[in-house]
Amino acid sequence: MEKKDGFLIRFYAVLKYEVLWHLRKKKVLGIMILAFGLATLSLALPVVLGNMYNRPIEPDPDRITSISMFSGELWYFLLAIILGMNSISGEFESGTIIPLLTKPISRTLVFLSKMASTLLIMIGTYIFLFTYLTLGNILLYGPQNNLHLISLQLIGNILSTLVWVSIVFAIGSVTKSSQMAALGSFGIWLGLNLIVGIYALFTGDTWFLTYFPGGGQTGYLKVEGSPIPTAGPQIKTGTGSIAENLVTLALNPSAIVNFIRFEIGGGEGIKILEVYTETLSYVVSRSFIVAIVYVFLFSFIAWYALKRAQISD
Amino acid sequence: MEIPIEIENLTKKFGSITAVKNATLKVEPGSIHGFLGPNGAGKSTTIKILLGLLKADEGKAKIFGKNALDGSPEIRQNVGYMPELPKFPKHLTGEELLELYGQMYGVPKDEIKKDIPHLIELVGLSGREQNKIGEYSKGMQQRLGIAQAMINDPELLILDEPSIGLDPVGMVEIRNLLKSIAKEGRTIFLSSHLLNEVQQICTHITIINKGSIQASGSLSDLRNGLSLEPSIILEVLNLNDNIVEAVKTIPNVKDTVVDGQRLRVNLNTREDVRSLVSQKITSMGGVIIEMNQTIETLEDVFLKLVTKPER
Ligand SMILES: Nc1ncnc2c1ncn2[C@@H]1O[C@H](COP(=O)(O)OP(=O)(O)OP(=O)(O)O)[C@@H](O)[C@H]1O
Ligand SMILES: [Mg+2]
Repeated sequence: MEKKDGFLIRFYAVLKYEVLWHLRKKKVLGIMILAFGLATLSLALPVVLGNMYNRPIEPDPDRITSISMFSGELWYFLLAIILGMNSISGEFESGTIIPLLTKPISRTLVFLSKMASTLLIMIGTYIFLFTYLTLGNILLYGPQNNLHLISLQLIGNILSTLVWVSIVFAIGSVTKSSQMAALGSFGIWLGLNLIVGIYALFTGDTWFLTYFPGGGQTGYLKVEGSPIPTAGPQIKTGTGSIAENLVTLALNPSAIVNFIRFEIGGGEGIKILEVYTETLSYVVSRSFIVAIVYVFLFSFIAWYALKRAQISD
Repeated sequence: MEIPIEIENLTKKFGSITAVKNATLKVEPGSIHGFLGPNGAGKSTTIKILLGLLKADEGKAKIFGKNALDGSPEIRQNVGYMPELPKFPKHLTGEELLELYGQMYGVPKDEIKKDIPHLIELVGLSGREQNKIGEYSKGMQQRLGIAQAMINDPELLILDEPSIGLDPVGMVEIRNLLKSIAKEGRTIFLSSHLLNEVQQICTHITIINKGSIQASGSLSDLRNGLSLEPSIILEVLNLNDNIVEAVKTIPNVKDTVVDGQRLRVNLNTREDVRSLVSQKITSMGGVIIEMNQTIETLEDVFLKLVTKPER
């Protein structure tokens, strides 16, 4: 047999190995069922509520751009956990890492294939979901405007999920334990959501939320001519809010975001003060960059740990 | 031809345990080289270092003349490896596994596909290649382990305890398979703690104990260089002091041990002196009813090496 260099053949083989790992472990099926259930709920809930209160739903051509179709920190986090928790550590735990890494392929190639296959499955999940939700919404609310903006939502959702995937990968690769990957990520998620949130509540400081993985700081779209800083819709600044913000930005490219502070006391009850403003395009770019920095940082940690790992049993 | 494996002063520590201690060994091209040692001797550790799974603390290791310690993938291009108790993804079929692993060597799928039926047959898995590995028995996984080690048609096969988990028939089959592979000019390096197994198929042996290499060389080198003292054991009717004294006068007889009718004659030579001894005893009126010259087995060597105090 002729020995070939064949980088593409090798890459394809490792990628297929990884994709089969995802598919055959019935994980993907689980994710699809979960996603399908949640999506169905989001479609059915307004109908059910409408029926209950005798307010049938009306046609709404902007429905798809006014809701963020499938987002939310909890979802990103869950999807990332399911996709990533045993991608690296699972191979250590089952021992299959030994025959794999003793093939003439670099650990970097193995790592990249794991990332790529996870990304592929994730994109597949989102495309399935978005198709279902788009069709469902068209069926319920009539023809929709701006259908092309769905692609922006897709990009945003992928990036937001990828932040958590890279965190799960990093913990899994460092600890070589799927349980640690899941629990550790959950700890980070919970910590960010609770502790940081509580801290922010007590001190009033929230600007730093923008720089942690998660929803981020809350602001309000400025409504031209209104003296009330909270008149417009809420905007979140974090890595988990990229999808909605991208769509909002595409619809209002010059939008401005107000950031406010509550002041309590002085006999006047709660006062809302505008502290500062930022353009929405700045907010979106920043969350994009923050997300990408996290993806690279945690992916680097995961890669480095795999690269350096001593594999004994 | 390049030397398939060359290890020099290799040391590997796990915390306070020194798993491999200053090990030096060389595997000749075309040999079947047995790496023999009791449990925990450091066999798997040495092999894992060669394959880039573990990092050495000190020393050198080369595969076909190239540094094997930097973990670069090219080193493994021409090497087939079967891990100790190999674990493969349970959700793949045997055939899929061989296809994917084969492609990881950069060989196109069509070419791999052509080789697979032959390989499957060689290791005795015919008819089961479409089954999921999760449905394989331990021995079948072991056989698949050998097949996947040969998927790239390697010049060097490294097998860590290849016969663990095989039934006696399987052991014989694998032994014959390995012999036929070696006939094609390939080199096989296999670890084992079963002396018998190694003795039956290997041309060369390295004995390791507590991380240190105790002996290394061809089978005959080992026998000559590390033999127990040769001796003759007899059972003699009418054995008496005169006979014993007479035996002691035979050249190359070192000393004797008497136990009832049994006489042990320790020798300084490896030559066959049975006729001399029997003539002498008969001429003194002794009646020999049994006589054996002990040809020390490798087992003696092995046991001696692994039970003696650390060097
Ligand atoms: N990951 C590890 N951490 C700590 N000690 C280890 C590790 N791997 C091996 N050892 C120790 O190194 C020594 C050599 O182990 P090794 O697995 O190389 O032995 P072996 O010769 O292959 O034995 P066996 O015949 O049982 O497979 C043993 O004392 C073992 O306990
Ligand atoms: Mg071992």
